[in-house]
Amino acid sequence: MSDVKEKAIEIIKNYDGPHIRMMEVCGTHTHEIFRLGVRKILPPQVELISGPGCPVCVTGPGFIDEAVWLALNKGVTICTFGDLVRVPGTEDSLATARGKGARVKVVYSPTDAADYAAEHPEEEIVFLSVGFETTTPSSCLAVKSAIDRGLKNFSLLVSNKTMPGAYNMLNGSADVFLYPGHVNAIAGNALCKKLAENGVSGVVTGFTAAEILSAIAIALTKFKEGKAFFVNAYPRVVKDEGNVQAQEITDKFMEACDTEWRGLGIIPLSGLKLRDEYADYDARRKFGIPVMKGRTNPACRCGDVLQGRCRPVDCPLFGKACTPIHPVGACMVSGEGACSAYYQYNI
Amino acid sequence: MCVGLPARVMKINDGHAVIDASGAQKEISTELLSDLEPGDYVMVHAGIAIAKIGSDDMTEADEVLGTLM
Amino acid sequence: MNDRITLAHGAGGTQTAELIDRVFKAHFSNPQFTADDAAVLETEAGKLAFSTDGFIVSPAFFPGGNIGKLSICGTVNDLSCMGARPLYLSCAFVIEEGFEMAKLEEIAAAMEKTAAQAGVRIVAGDTKVAGKGQVDGLFITTTGIGRIREGVSTSGAYAKPGDKVIVSGDIGRHGCTILLARNEFGIEADVTSDCAPLWANVEAMMDTTNDIHVIRDATRGGVGTVLYEIAEQSKVGIRLNTGSIPVQDGVRGVCGMLGLEPLYLACEGRLVIFAPADKADAIVAALRACPNSENAAVIGEVTDEMPGHVILRTEIGAETMLSRPTGELLPRIC
Repeated sequence: MSDVKEKAIEIIKNYDGPHIRMMEVCGTHTHEIFRLGVRKILPPQVELISGPGCPVCVTGPGFIDEAVWLALNKGVTICTFGDLVRVPGTEDSLATARGKGARVKVVYSPTDAADYAAEHPEEEIVFLSVGFETTTPSSCLAVKSAIDRGLKNFSLLVSNKTMPGAYNMLNGSADVFLYPGHVNAIAGNALCKKLAENGVSGVVTGFTAAEILSAIAIALTKFKEGKAFFVNAYPRVVKDEGNVQAQEITDKFMEACDTEWRGLGIIPLSGLKLRDEYADYDARRKFGIPVMKGRTNPACRCGDVLQGRCRPVDCPLFGKACTPIHPVGACMVSGEGACSAYYQYNI
Repeated sequence: MCVGLPARVMKINDGHAVIDASGAQKEISTELLSDLEPGDYVMVHAGIAIAKIGSDDMTEADEVLGTLM
Repeated sequence: MNDRITLAHGAGGTQTAELIDRVFKAHFSNPQFTADDAAVLETEAGKLAFSTDGFIVSPAFFPGGNIGKLSICGTVNDLSCMGARPLYLSCAFVIEEGFEMAKLEEIAAAMEKTAAQAGVRIVAGDTKVAGKGQVDGLFITTTGIGRIREGVSTSGAYAKPGDKVIVSGDIGRHGCTILLARNEFGIEADVTSDCAPLWANVEAMMDTTNDIHVIRDATRGGVGTVLYEIAEQSKVGIRLNTGSIPVQDGVRGVCGMLGLEPLYLACEGRLVIFAPADKADAIVAALRACPNSENAAVIGEVTDEMPGHVILRTEIGAETMLSRPTGELLPRIC
């Protein structure tokens, strides 16, 4: 193992400070932390909690219901990130809807969906737009691409969200946050610095083993000092100002709105929707989708898992009715959900 | 879904670039970044380059831990 | 003869005879190749291995091979894994009306070449033609017999604690090649299928020792799936050293781009071997001296802890479980 990883592990293992709750709020962090086995090297008084940073996990069943409705009632071709295909809606997932005739295509990028629309003018394409600050600009670039090419058969079903409202709501759930490095790469560090001034500590964290370990080592060391702090431990990608072009394009196409987070309820102004001048590219307005609230299994504790209030194993359905092959809640479907990671990687 | 892929810029084509990640090559959008040159390293997410990468992660972690001393 | 297959070619009359003569007999001819209803074979007494495999790979032609080469390798390797020298094969073709004759000849030529490499004779066959759209291009089924070497006995249930786990080369190349050939993601990489006949490699291993417990060829589902199968069948745990698993750069890059695990990408020319620790080095050396296994390596060991599980030592020195395979990653991979 390299020197810097060993150095970080030593700092972590030698932590002799008070009990500390660290929360990571990024689905990719959840996944990597499990894959690397980070919890195995933490001393007992360090608690690492998973938060609501998996965009698929916080997407409610109503969104899937809308997509299924579009596919089965309007003959729309749904383009989506692979993760959403098996998320359960109230009755169907996109996977089971395929069996009923729905056309569902997995894409790697929203701009691929716009390209597909250009190549298939006879089909109506709707891209399922989910994600946080990191991903939203790519959906906006897809709309821009559609406008530039004069495409009339492309629109977004939007369920994008932003982190600030979530951080507010999570205040008190943890002593230190491990901030999602790529969200800050886009949005910059201003908000997180402000949170530190108001007593909320956090470290901007990257995604390699060295970056995750060094971020945790820093968090523990600074926490012992007793004062609220902010550290950017991912400076090779994250600049204080973030990516201004990305911020501008997001602002050009989208505006804030209230939105429901699965299991957390409505968080004001935490969602995004397309601005009125782009209504033609908003699938809800274009197709007149009826309002769909969606229903989840009442025994499913995804909401508590997402807030770090319980571990996946504390949910009565975990590993029994709810497994990666037969998921009940989104946390088990998404490759980055806490339940899925726990199930797959935990010994 | 922050999953990002570090990649090397091989060729630039007007708003797009061909990048190489450990021998796999793909064309991605560079509309969110300016002043890219072949040889630069970028972080790619969902088919779009979102940031230029300044160094390798080991050097970075070393520097970051160095601030604790 | 036409430049495309027609229904008449499958009807059993003159055109069928012409097709067999010009395409199949031309490439498969050998003393036992039968013109009768069945081939007549004589073999020495002993244990025989017998196996069959169907091939529906799409696309039929890919970097490193085609469906013909694959159909020979698949059955040859299944027999080889039992420690059996492959002797005779039959092949049944189901061809879609309209399939190009030139492509069929190319496939038959590949089968001839691969069979010669493997030292196996194609002695019987059948051809059917289905109407346009009733089959996608060409499907091949091969069935084979081989004679098991004296003193060798391998099975998925024979892995023992203390055994080393060996893989005969870098992993995931076939799955990666097919994925790239379907070009759904706009990714390019310099990767070719690892499709190869492996009897010579198995023979080289058995020349060093008969005491080999398990030999499996990793196909659909890749090396990871084989490891879980053996862990279950033998009721043992397997500890993997991730740093030792050979993966080619291009495969690593494609997996990184698509979030795939190389251990679960299909192979078509890779063996997973379980053998006693004191025999492992000699086995690896023998493999490395053969074509198609130059990158053989020990990748882990068998333990009596955690039976049925595959455990990884991660890059930070912690232990986690290899995530279990969850169903078909890529359809029609072989």
